[in-house]
Amino acid sequence: MTTQHLTKPRGYRPPGQLGGRTPLNGTFARRAAVVGFLAPALIILAVFVGWPMVSALQLSFTDASGFGDPGFVGIDNYVRVFTDANIIRSMGNTALYAVLFTPVAIIVALVLALIVNSPRLPFAGFFRSVLFLPFIVSLAVAAFAWSYLLDPQIGLLNYWLQGAGIRIGNVLQDPLLAMPTVALVAVWKSFGFYMVIFLAGLQEIPTSIYEAAQLDGATGWKRFTNITFPMLSSTMAFVVIVALIAALQAFDQIYVLTGGGPYQSTETIVLQIYQSGFKDLELGFASALSYVLLIVTLLLSLVQFLFFGRRGEDIAS
Amino acid sequence: MKKLTGALAAVAVTAIGLSGCAGTTDAESSGPVSLTFWHGYTEADGGVLDGIVEDFNASQDDITIETETKTWAVIDDTLLPALSSENGPEIVAMTSDRLPVYATRNALVDLDDFYADSASNTEALKPEAVDMVSVDGTKFGVPSGFVPLSVIYNKTLFADAGITTFPTTWDEWVDAAKKLTIDSNGDGTPEQYGMVLPDHATVGNGIWPSLFAGGGGSITSADGTEATIDSPENVDTLTYWADAVRNDLISPTGVDGIGSDELFTAGKAAMEIGGPWMAGVATASDIDYGLAAIPAGPEAQASTAIGISLAITAQADDAKQAAAEKFLAYFNDKATATEWALGSGWPPLRTDVSAADVSANATVASLTEIAPGTLPLLPGVVNSTDVLTAMDTATQKAFAGGDPATLLAEAQASIEDALSK
Amino acid sequence: MTALAKRSEVAATRTASGRDSHRPSSRPDVARWLFFAVFLAITLAIMLPVIIIALTAFKPASEVNAFPPTLFPEQWTLDNFRAIFSELPFGRLIVNSFVFAGGVTVFALAFDSLAAYALARLDFRGSKVLLIVIIATLMIPFQATLIPIYQLVSDLGWVNTFWGLIAPRAADAFGIFFLRQFFLALPRDLDNAARIDGASEWRVFRSVVLPNAVPALLTLGVFTFVNNWNDLLWPLVFTTEQEMGTITSGLTLLTGPGGIIPQGVMMAGALIAVLPLAILFLIVQRRFIESVASTGLK
Repeated sequence: MTTQHLTKPRGYRPPGQLGGRTPLNGTFARRAAVVGFLAPALIILAVFVGWPMVSALQLSFTDASGFGDPGFVGIDNYVRVFTDANIIRSMGNTALYAVLFTPVAIIVALVLALIVNSPRLPFAGFFRSVLFLPFIVSLAVAAFAWSYLLDPQIGLLNYWLQGAGIRIGNVLQDPLLAMPTVALVAVWKSFGFYMVIFLAGLQEIPTSIYEAAQLDGATGWKRFTNITFPMLSSTMAFVVIVALIAALQAFDQIYVLTGGGPYQSTETIVLQIYQSGFKDLELGFASALSYVLLIVTLLLSLVQFLFFGRRGEDIAS
Repeated sequence: MKKLTGALAAVAVTAIGLSGCAGTTDAESSGPVSLTFWHGYTEADGGVLDGIVEDFNASQDDITIETETKTWAVIDDTLLPALSSENGPEIVAMTSDRLPVYATRNALVDLDDFYADSASNTEALKPEAVDMVSVDGTKFGVPSGFVPLSVIYNKTLFADAGITTFPTTWDEWVDAAKKLTIDSNGDGTPEQYGMVLPDHATVGNGIWPSLFAGGGGSITSADGTEATIDSPENVDTLTYWADAVRNDLISPTGVDGIGSDELFTAGKAAMEIGGPWMAGVATASDIDYGLAAIPAGPEAQASTAIGISLAITAQADDAKQAAAEKFLAYFNDKATATEWALGSGWPPLRTDVSAADVSANATVASLTEIAPGTLPLLPGVVNSTDVLTAMDTATQKAFAGGDPATLLAEAQASIEDALSK
Repeated sequence: MTALAKRSEVAATRTASGRDSHRPSSRPDVARWLFFAVFLAITLAIMLPVIIIALTAFKPASEVNAFPPTLFPEQWTLDNFRAIFSELPFGRLIVNSFVFAGGVTVFALAFDSLAAYALARLDFRGSKVLLIVIIATLMIPFQATLIPIYQLVSDLGWVNTFWGLIAPRAADAFGIFFLRQFFLALPRDLDNAARIDGASEWRVFRSVVLPNAVPALLTLGVFTFVNNWNDLLWPLVFTTEQEMGTITSGLTLLTGPGGIIPQGVMMAGALIAVLPLAILFLIVQRRFIESVASTGLK
C-alpha cells in the first residue's frame, strides 16, 4: 500500500524536498541509525537462524546421522531427492495440499474478517474472539475433536446424519478424500490467524474513503472491489506469501490426522524430512531435502513479489 | 496419530547392558559415577522400575542412576538432539523397532562382550527376546519387555451372542465374529462388529506379522535380509481375512490400531487384538473383558511381541559404560527379573522364571502361558519403517477390495527395495 | 486539514454506529438481527470441534469413546481437571509457559519493530535484498535446523535454562516482515514533520511510529505469544527436565493405562491451557480495534 493511496482523499500534497523518500546516504549519524535499528534482530537471526541454516547446508553434503563423524558424499543426497519415488510423490502431495489450502484459507479468512468488521454485526467483538479460538487450541486436541466428529463408526457426524440416511465415508482413509479433508482441517485451524491479519489491514483503511464513496452512491460489492480490495493489497501480499510458506511446510496437522496415509497419499515433504531426520537418522539427506524445499519456496515467493510489485501495490514499494 | 501408536507400542522395560571395558569395575576415584536413565514406563510399571533402580543405587556406593520418565514417543523425538550434543541419557529404554536404527548409526554401545561375561546374567534370557536386540549378529541391548499381543474380548457381548468359550482356531474365530456382528436395520453397515481387525498401523505393527505367521508365512527371512512377503501362504492368509471382512462384514475397514482400541472401548466391536494394557483401558471404560491368545492359524499359533530394550548410548565414557553394565547385570538377575515381571504385569524375560513363579499376578501368569508362541517383530531390520509401510499398503488395499496376490507381489518389490538400502 | 478529513476522524472515534446513522432505522434493524442470527449459527457450526473439546473435558473416561456418541456429558465430572493437577506440576508448567511465551514476545516485539522500522523507513542500499534474505529464513522447515540450534544452545551451556529457551526466538523473520508491511502503510507526513523539527530517528520511531502502530504490535504480540505458548517441539526437545517444561510440552507426558492417552484429561488440560490465551485475545482485540479507530490515520 502506498502513501498516496492513503492520503490522496484527504487532499494530500507531496511533501517538499526534505520530506521525500530521500535515501539516507551520507551522514554518519544516519548510517549509525540503520545499523543500530537492525543490529539486535539481525544478530539474533544470524546466530540462531543463519548459523543453523549454514550447518544444515554443510550437513546436506554429508551422510551425517547425528552420531560420529559425518562423511562427505558430494551431491548424492540431492540426487536422491530427485530420484527417490517416495520423495517425488511427496512433492506432488505437497503441491496438491498447497493448491487446496492456500486459496481456501485466504478466502475464508477474508470473508470472515469482512463480516466481523462490519458495523452492522452486533457483538462483533464476541465473534472476533470466538472465531480466533481454533487458532489457539492445541493441535493434538483439535485432532481428537475432528476424529470424534468424522469417525465413520463412532463419529458424531455420522450418528447425526444416519437419521437422514446419509453416511459420510471414512474420509481420512480414502486415498482421494484424505488430502482435501486434511486441508479442510488445516483451514479450520488457521483461518483465525489470517482473519486477524486482514482485520488489522481493514482498520488501516480510513473511514473517510468509504464516506466519500457513499456520497458517490457506491455500495456493497462495488465498495469492496473499488476500495477495500485494493486498499488491502499490502496485507494480501503478506498473507499470500505467509500462507504459501505455511502450506509448503505442512506437517503437524497431517502428522496427527493421517500420519501420511492412506498409502502415503498425504505424505508431504516436511513429513519426509521429519521421517529421514528423526526416524531414519539421516540428517544429511533431511538437510538436502530441506534446502530443495527452501529454494522452491523462494522461487515461488519471488514470483509473487514480482506479481504484487508489477501491480504497484507491492510488498517492497 | 502414529505417534500414539509408538506410545502404545511401549509396554515393557529392559535393562541395559554394556560391555567393552568389562575390567574397569572400580569407578573413578573422584566419587560415584552418576548415570541418567530415560524410560517410557509411565504407569505402575514405571514405579516398579524406579524402585529397582533405587534398590540398585542402595546396593552399592559407586554408581548412582537417576531415572527420567517420558513417553516412548517423546523419547524418540528428543533422543537424537540430546545425544548429538551429549545431553542425553547413558541408559535408554526404546521400542524394539527403533533399536536397530540407532545401533547402525553408532548411537549405541556394542554389548557382545557383556553377553559373553557370565556376570551379566544374560544366559537365561529368552533367545527370541535377545534376537530382538541383535543387529547383524551383534547385540545392542538387553530386553526389558517382550509381550505377546493377545485378544481382548467383551464378555457381555459374548454372553448376549451365546458364546461361552473363546475360539482357538481361525475358523472358530471367524464364526464367533459372524455371530457377534449385528446389522439390525439391514443397511449393510453393521451396528455392532464381531471384531475389529485394523488394516494399517496396527498395535505395535504386530497384527499382520502375527496372522501371516499363523498361516505359515513371514515378512522377511529370519535374519532380516530377504523379503518373503510374497508367498502362497501369505496370499491365502490375506485372502482369508479380506473375505471375512469384506463379505461377512465381521470388521470395519480402514481402521488403525488407535481406532481399533476406540471401537472396542465404545462397545462397537466385540473383540480386538491388543496389547495387555487394554485390560486397564477396558476397566476404565466399564467393560467386562477377557484376555485370550490369538487363535491358531492353519499352520501355527503365533503372536508378535511388543518389545522394549534397554541400551547404553555411545555418549557414555568407559567408566559410565562399565557402571551401566553393572546395572544391566543387576536387572537381568533372576530375583530382579521376577520382581519386574510381577510388578510390571508383563511376562518374565528369563526362561527359568515359570508361570508358577509369577502366579501372584494373574495377568502375568496367563501371558506367560501365551508367551511360547511369541515372535520378535522384524528382528534386525534397520529400515523397518519402509517394510511396515509396504505391508500396511498391501493389507489396507486388500481390505478395500484389491487382489491379495497382486498386492503382496507389489509389497515384495517395495520390501526388497527397502532392505537393499 | 480539510473538512472531509475532520469528519472522518469524528466518524472513526464514534466507531461503527457512526456509519449507520444516516440510514432509516427500523428495516435495517430487522436485517441486522437476521444477519446476526445466521452468522451466529455459522459460527457455532465452525466452533463444533472446540465445543467438543470443552464438553469432553467434563466427561468421565467411560463416556469419552462411548457409542452412541454424545455432545454433552451424561454425567458431568471434574475428575479430569483433578487428574491434571495431581499428575503434572501444573502450576510450575504454567509459570514456565508465561516466562517462555511472554519473554519471547517482549524481546521479539522490541527487536522486530526496530528492524522493521529500518526496513520501512530508513531507505538504505540493499534493504530489499536484506528483506528477502530475512523472509527466506522462514522457508526452511524448523525440523531441519532444530538439531543445529540445539547443539549451539548446548555449546553455550544454556540447556534447561529460560535464556536458552527464549534466545533463539528473540527476533523472528515473520514479525519483522509483518511490522514492515504495517509501517509502510503508515503515512509519512507525520514522521517527516518530526524530522523537519530535528527529531532523531530514534525519537521518530518511539514517539511517532510506535504509537501509531499499537494495533499491529498488539496483533503481532498475540501471534507470538500464542505460537510459543502452543509450541511443542522446541520446548520438548530443549528441556530434558520436566521442571523446565511448558504446559504444552507437559501435556504430552500425560498417559493413561498402558501409555494410552487419557483423552478426557487431555481435553481438560487443553481447556486450562487455552484460557489465558483466550482472555488475552479478548482484551487485546477490543483494544486494537479501538486504538486503530481512535488514532485513525492522520
